Amino acid sequence: MRKQKRYQAAALALALAAALSGCGSSGGTSADSGQSANGAGQGTAQGSGNGETVVLHVLENDTAKSVGYFQELLDAFNAEYADQGIQAVDANMDEFTNLAENGPYGYGPDVLYQANDKLMTYAEDKHILALDIESFDCYECTPQAAWDAFRMTIDGQTYYCGVPVNIQEPMLFYREDRMPQDWQTEWDDDQNGVPDFFENWNDLYAYSKYLRDTDPSPGKDSQYGFMASLNNLYLASPFMLSHGAYIFGEKDGVLDTEDIGFAAGDAANGLSALRQFAALMNEGCIDDTITLNRYEKLADGSYFCTVSTPDTRSLFMDRLAGKYREEGLSEEEADAKAEENLKMIELPAKMPADGDLSRDSAQMSDGDWVNTIVMGGVNGYGVSSYTQHRQESIEFVNFATKYDMIKKRVDMLGIAPTRSDVAEVSGDTAARIFTSLSEGRIYLMPSVKAVDQIWTPSQTVMGDVAKDPFREKAGETPKYKDEQDMKNALETINRNIYDAIHTLAK
Amino acid sequence: MKKVESGKKKTSLPVKASLCVMGTGQLLYRQWIKGFLYLAVFAGFLWYLAAMGIKDIIGMFTLGTVQADPWLGTEGDDSVIMMLRGILAVIVICGAALLYRSNVRDIKRTDEMIRAGKPLPGFFKATGMFLDRKFYMVALALPVAGVLVFNVLPIVFMILIAFTNYGGDIVPPKLVDWVGLDNFRRILTLSDIKGTFFRILGWNIIWAFAATFINYFGGLGLALLLNKKCVKGKRFWRMFPILAYAVPGFITLLAFKFLFSYGGPINYYITAAGHSAVGFLDIDAGIKAKLIGLFVNAWTSIPTSMLLATGILSNMNMDLYEAASIDGASKWQQFIKITLPFVVFSTTPVLITSFTGNFNNFGVFYFLRGGLYMDGYFLASDTDLLINWLYNLSINNNYYSIGAAVSLIIFAITSLFSLSVYVRSSAYKKEDTYR
Repeated sequence: MRKQKRYQAAALALALAAALSGCGSSGGTSADSGQSANGAGQGTAQGSGNGETVVLHVLENDTAKSVGYFQELLDAFNAEYADQGIQAVDANMDEFTNLAENGPYGYGPDVLYQANDKLMTYAEDKHILALDIESFDCYECTPQAAWDAFRMTIDGQTYYCGVPVNIQEPMLFYREDRMPQDWQTEWDDDQNGVPDFFENWNDLYAYSKYLRDTDPSPGKDSQYGFMASLNNLYLASPFMLSHGAYIFGEKDGVLDTEDIGFAAGDAANGLSALRQFAALMNEGCIDDTITLNRYEKLADGSYFCTVSTPDTRSLFMDRLAGKYREEGLSEEEADAKAEENLKMIELPAKMPADGDLSRDSAQMSDGDWVNTIVMGGVNGYGVSSYTQHRQESIEFVNFATKYDMIKKRVDMLGIAPTRSDVAEVSGDTAARIFTSLSEGRIYLMPSVKAVDQIWTPSQTVMGDVAKDPFREKAGETPKYKDEQDMKNALETINRNIYDAIHTLAK
Repeated sequence: MKKVESGKKKTSLPVKASLCVMGTGQLLYRQWIKGFLYLAVFAGFLWYLAAMGIKDIIGMFTLGTVQADPWLGTEGDDSVIMMLRGILAVIVICGAALLYRSNVRDIKRTDEMIRAGKPLPGFFKATGMFLDRKFYMVALALPVAGVLVFNVLPIVFMILIAFTNYGGDIVPPKLVDWVGLDNFRRILTLSDIKGTFFRILGWNIIWAFAATFINYFGGLGLALLLNKKCVKGKRFWRMFPILAYAVPGFITLLAFKFLFSYGGPINYYITAAGHSAVGFLDIDAGIKAKLIGLFVNAWTSIPTSMLLATGILSNMNMDLYEAASIDGASKWQQFIKITLPFVVFSTTPVLITSFTGNFNNFGVFYFLRGGLYMDGYFLASDTDLLINWLYNLSINNNYYSIGAAVSLIIFAITSLFSLSVYVRSSAYKKEDTYR
């Protein structure tokens, strides 16, 4: 009862703060700040008030540091707020530092940039503040789906604990100069200018099979089509999620970690498709071999395409440029050629509903397909509950998520922004990812601590299913022969995840 | 009756005073420095109890009553810190009790000297005599204090955690509670967990014996080989095991993981020869993964055994072999009757630590085959040892209290085994035999 009253008071403070604060403007220099749940630090940040400079410790990700974006952000913020006595500095901590362990003892950062699942792990125990999201400059132009990645419900009250910055999802990487010469005549049935194998999984399977069948090497191991570590839930998520699987269900609008849905819907069909595709790969798909060698193998042409996250684009680029240099190009020429040839697109949008990848796509009707759904995440900023400078920290987040800084982030890091106004002017890929998020084709990682427990159980079973074709090739008895076997495998994932979360907690 | 009573010493006032308040008896006997020091310790102890000691002791029982709320700025209780402070308070109280005992013994000794009409030594003289008589106590006081704080306290903390519900959703700022033997009950009664526990325990025992045997005799064999007169370039050959020993263990393990992976060189040559790739460490690996684990562990551990055995063999009395040869003993008999007893005698304690180390060998299967939960196992795989399972439970899945309970069971097994083997060993029974 006492606790409930506290939450009610917090909610009241939030509502009051929301009413008092106006909407931010993109050109403003001292935007109205969000309000923390305890109502502290209302109004515009004004430094410490005693003439001393307030120093904010900001935790950013390593890529933003290495390409220089973070320094630009700090410089821009410090120039803007110098007269208000606020200075932001690098927190100089590991990008995955644990706020729950350090924060309560005064060692965490004031502001932190992390993925929604990580950030919301902190939110569950209130290690980061609930924010009045409507007061942020980016509020109007950020889709609700992105905000929902930072949504949390406590005692019936909804709180938002992060400000979205960019979307992460598995992407398909390929080399433009390895495209088949005749793709416009042979691999573009609908003549829409996009190869069919980038539009649906059946044609990607067909093209992969074609490459395997025509492999000229004696060992038949020099050319593959689509390659991925199929034991990796994040990268191979389309096989499960597109067919109705989900991670945690919802009960009264709140995530229910007892309702685990890997076996839901027709997920068994998706797992069959995964098994089918594994037969066109090598044994590297069973473990993380392909995840480790994909940069090299895409660059040397062994893999036609592979799957990875947008933040690894620079690794593909470096390796491809290196390959061109080995072929005799100068550094500038190699970089330019790599930039021109390395393509990053979304995974094929259509997957066969029955999980049979070998069907001819030309013979399939609209009802035979399901939309590809991938697992994704939203990275964003959160404010530590233990900061001594709540208002100034919120001010920093507001500044860092304004149009100019997000645009700069897109230009320097190649991310897919959650701000619609930046997405519109950031090229096709960013716009498409943004649309996918808005249209529900990206399944956001659940924002609960329990999500940590989904990886090992799914990795074990998916790797086991991916191994099945190789058992057959080796003359062993396959383990997953029919739909029921697939269902059992998915139930095993459910059971292991349930055990990891609940069995010992009771 | 009267005679008996008259024979009984009457407790003097200073003794009674020191029994009530430390140091006051000494002050009554005009032992000013000693008296004030005892009094200061007594006052400090009372201040500690009043300021935090009693609160810390109570806190250890309650583990907190107010939950922190960072949003509302409520500074609640931190159960884990309260438990640590409680343990510290117990240590302080035990320390104070020891000082109280020394205070009582001191005043009684002083009282007896007064009654006997002996002169009382001054503070500095008495201190000098104490230092002379009990130097070991003074010298060991600091290390003992260090051991109490840095070893005993964490161990006691870990033991106590096994009796709480710390872990899962119950992590600070949420409050932790005492649950008695519930964690042990769950390990031994929940069917999934019980089955996994005994299956892993069985494999763990086999692993520990096999790994210790292979490493020990592998090292001894290598040392004997390199000790042979016929071996040329001994220094050169000894360099290789030492190189393997010098490379950090986890790097070696990761290298072996790559070596045996699907994308590794072994499978490369297997497939190049026209065969199917072999899943040395995957879900179907079974006995293959266990044998690879033994092999990799031998690779990292044999050099240590070899160096140890080389040192011991250099102290062997060669006359024994000469005499044995004259008596007609074969090389094998010489090894069994002379070399082995000598080496085993010298290395029994090392053998026990080696067994314990192998029983708790976390790295091998964590690096080679981590990240698998297999059918029939509760959050574990068929190659996991108890220590790996403990890691899965306590770190991967945050079940700290269950992890602590498992670690207590591991401790019980390894300590029982180590002690029973050690007290039965020649190294313990016949300490002087080989001197």
